[in-house]
Amino acid sequence: MLYDVRLSLNYDYKATVHGGRHLVRVSPISVPGVQRVVASSLSFEPRPQRESSFTDFFGNLATTVTFLDPHDSLEIRLTARVQVEDIVRPADLSPTLPELHQAIARYWSVEPNSPHHFLASSPRVPLDPAISRYAASATADAASVFSAANALCLAIHRDFAYDPKATDVQTLPSTVFALRKGVCQDFAHVMIAGLRGLGIPAGYVSGFLRTNPPPGKPRLEGADAMHAWVRAWCGQHLGWVEFDPTNAMVAGADHISIGHGRDYSDISPIVGVLKTHGSHETKQSVDVLRVE
Amino acid sequence: MRNQKRGKPPAGPSIVAGYRLLPGVPDEMIDAQGALRPGWAKLMAAFDTLGPTELAARFERADQYLRDAGVFYRTYDGTESKERDWPLAHVPLLISEADWARISAGLIQRAELLETVVADIYGDNTLVQQGLLPPELVARNSEFLRPLVGVRPTSGHFLHFCAFELGRGPDGSWWVLGDRTQAPSGAGFALENRVATTRALSDIYSDMNVQRLAGFFRGFRDTLFDDAKRDGGRVGILTPGQLNETYFEHAYIARYLGLMLLEGEDLVVEDGKVMVRTVSGLKQISALWRRMDASFVDPLELRYDSRIGTPGMVDALRHGSISMINALGTGLLETRALAAFLPRIARKLLGDDLLLPEIATWWCGQPGEQRHVLDHLDSMMIGPAFATNLPFEDQQNTRLGSDYSATDKQALRERILADGVNFVGQERVQLSTAPVYVDGQLQPRPISLRVYAARTSDGWTIMPGGFARVGSGADASAIAMQRGGQAADVWVMSSSPVERISLLPQDGQKLVRNSPGSLPSRAADNLIWLGRYAERCEATVRILRAYNARLAELSRPQMPLLLHCAAFLETIDVDAAEGMPTGLLAAIDSAVRSAGQIRDRFSPDGWLALNDLQKTALRFAKRVQPGDDSTRAMTVLLRKLAGFSGLVHENMYRFAGWRFLELGRRLERAVQMARTTAWMTRPEAPDGSVEMLLEIGDSVMTHRRRYSVAAGSQSAIDLLVLDPLNPRSVLFQLTELRAQIAKLPGGIEDGQLSQAGKAALRLHTDLRIVEPADMTPERLDRLAADIGILSSLVAAAYFV
Repeated sequence: MLYDVRLSLNYDYKATVHGGRHLVRVSPISVPGVQRVVASSLSFEPRPQRESSFTDFFGNLATTVTFLDPHDSLEIRLTARVQVEDIVRPADLSPTLPELHQAIARYWSVEPNSPHHFLASSPRVPLDPAISRYAASATADAASVFSAANALCLAIHRDFAYDPKATDVQTLPSTVFALRKGVCQDFAHVMIAGLRGLGIPAGYVSGFLRTNPPPGKPRLEGADAMHAWVRAWCGQHLGWVEFDPTNAMVAGADHISIGHGRDYSDISPIVGVLKTHGSHETKQSVDVLRVE
Repeated sequence: MRNQKRGKPPAGPSIVAGYRLLPGVPDEMIDAQGALRPGWAKLMAAFDTLGPTELAARFERADQYLRDAGVFYRTYDGTESKERDWPLAHVPLLISEADWARISAGLIQRAELLETVVADIYGDNTLVQQGLLPPELVARNSEFLRPLVGVRPTSGHFLHFCAFELGRGPDGSWWVLGDRTQAPSGAGFALENRVATTRALSDIYSDMNVQRLAGFFRGFRDTLFDDAKRDGGRVGILTPGQLNETYFEHAYIARYLGLMLLEGEDLVVEDGKVMVRTVSGLKQISALWRRMDASFVDPLELRYDSRIGTPGMVDALRHGSISMINALGTGLLETRALAAFLPRIARKLLGDDLLLPEIATWWCGQPGEQRHVLDHLDSMMIGPAFATNLPFEDQQNTRLGSDYSATDKQALRERILADGVNFVGQERVQLSTAPVYVDGQLQPRPISLRVYAARTSDGWTIMPGGFARVGSGADASAIAMQRGGQAADVWVMSSSPVERISLLPQDGQKLVRNSPGSLPSRAADNLIWLGRYAERCEATVRILRAYNARLAELSRPQMPLLLHCAAFLETIDVDAAEGMPTGLLAAIDSAVRSAGQIRDRFSPDGWLALNDLQKTALRFAKRVQPGDDSTRAMTVLLRKLAGFSGLVHENMYRFAGWRFLELGRRLERAVQMARTTAWMTRPEAPDGSVEMLLEIGDSVMTHRRRYSVAAGSQSAIDLLVLDPLNPRSVLFQLTELRAQIAKLPGGIEDGQLSQAGKAALRLHTDLRIVEPADMTPERLDRLAADIGILSSLVAAAYFV
């Protein structure tokens, strides 16, 4: 499937900002066999004095911008054309949980895709006994790692309400879990905490959803903004599989990914240090249109 | 006495007679046969010769030195953080030349090994792939900093300065208890240990061929500056700031080695280069000796919540424009569980066993090791696998298995079984003892050595001695200074006379002058504020003294003159009804705080004088009553303030730093004098106001001499505002301000005055031509406001 993606992030500062430095991660990357970036362009308003890009540890494209002049607002615009493969998922070849643990123990590598990076607490997803217990009971009947991850994905969709007012970008999974409310980022974090609690390596994926559903299908939740979902390591054969707990589905041709990390902190759209004392207001708009 | 009872003559020095060894614990002074080890006999004989009284006096001299030098460290008890005097254990620890040779060789080998390990972890990761290092210890480690993976240090090396904690085990050999690679502290304290100890024992010291420390520092400093030369040669110490427990040491080393003392906000990354904000603009810095934990260094790519970092620092490292000592990410080497794998890695990589054994460690993430730990739980220290502190310093999380109750032990077993990755078992740390001098007697206390290694162009060098930690009781775990332990100097004995070394350039060496104009903006800002607050204190104290003297005389606060004066004090947040007003205490506190930020910029004497001022003021606050009592208190404070000003102004090199301090002082004095004069010469000012004003302006005598009339508004204004020769007049301050502002960086460029320079000239000229009669209270208030604007112009030019 070929998509045109348009993203606009707008920051309106309450007080004039006298310069700043940001790290931006919104440009999608090519992942062999999953998606291919045909074209991608990132621009800023006002124009930064300096701009440079690098590939981070997990393979994501990061752009550093520096502003030296005073400004009252910032707009980040991305336009990209991305070819997403419609993967035919093989049958559930994933191991049982004890088999998975053995496979991990045999995995003598710390390359970026190694499951070892995705098992411990990470900055935004501390392991949480309550969420671990919830995950254990939600997956009690699952015979394989894949079915366990899938069961947890469905359970979260069933038990949690989509409510953009309930949380903000800083909310920790323990709070989300207590509220049983949140948005895609929150559900992804809870699911990651749950999977890691079971000993299943899990990471965070940031990306976009197609805006208009195929005929006869409902519009997906979160399609009008940036989206987030989860990847879980389902053993050597199946590898990393992506689950979308917000929409109770395995991520597929409707999901265009920007990149991934251990949690939101590794792939947040913008990290910034501003020279200001005021707060700001954020607006974002996303359009994902199918080209063919 | 005891020996005599048995009819034997005293064998050896009598000071050793009462020294009772702990059973089964090796001692540094007495060998297994009960004889004094070499060197100790000489030291103890010398102690005997001095006798108890002289010895106590000598040790007091060492303490006095440390107090005068302002050596302190910080402790935290619960929520409060306090400065403490440095706890010197006065008896040095003696180490033989042979022991030291073994230690040095072992630590050089270890430093090389650690360099190879960390280069591999942030590079090709062959150790993990070959099964020599479990991936969990890297991937689950919070000190594994992913943004640094693949970043080769520009110097070619990750490690430049390390410390090692050593203890002597029951078999008599030295063991490595822990590696400090993140940001090792204490080298500066080692120097102070040495200076203080030799103050007490100078004759003995020079008699015993003790190896010197200065050569180690000289070698390291020269390497730092040689590496930095190509980019302008600026080298700094990156400190978390004055609340850090070892901030004293950062300031001390900065002074001692001639490095800039920098905080994260002093630095800015531009075009991949690290620049320091100085009063002469941005200047590139090419090496940073980091005393800040790595994760705080860059809020963009490391800890997002760090408020002490520099955005873009990791980017600069990626560009290879700065050398970081040590590289970011090297803290991972301190991970406790790593020790379990070093012996095997050494054999594989170096083809050799570790020359110095290390504390035996079993990581419970492996089934065999886990079983071993569970089988020997009682005799092992069980702790967190990823901890980076030393096992015997970690009261909270690391305990001997046998210290657990039966139920707790069962729970521990279950946790180790379920989550072995996070646990490590280590053999129990046993330390040797060495003598400390307590209440006129020597007592054995557990000791550990802290040894420093530095990389120079000739490879690793080891600092010969300097720092041992001494327990507060017989228990080895009480060695941490946060819990009452002490520090002792370590003397490495040489068989031949030692060469005298100092950091001053030797004959035949080229004299290198540091480039001027490198005063960091933050330091300049703090210097201005220190000058301003100190002057504000003085102005307030003078007014309070005049007020209270009159109150004592008349004992009627309702008198118009006193009410008028109290109303003025209220405009500067000072309540005249208090004998030692809170507003004045706040100004003193602000002065101390500004000074605390720039400890490396002025003498320890100045710092002590300021602290003494604050202590005195706080003591006064508890008991001083308005009136006569307060008058006397203010006189004391005034004297102490003068002492502080004198120490600072008479001893500071007339460089940019002094200039900013001077600016602050002059600005504040000009503002205060203009405002006070305006208030006291108002039409409604009661009788006696002008006399009081002259007293506040310290100009009663001059007035009497210069004017043959009774004091009136006109003559007071002439003397306190317009007189070019009165060092308290506003005009005098402006003359000084004009001169100093012109000498600041960029003060005059192409013959043009800076903005601040022009403003100062304008104010100065106005005052030169105005007549006293035209100097109305309104105009004086406007003058004070204009001087405030001048202050902002200086700030805008140099601190933004």
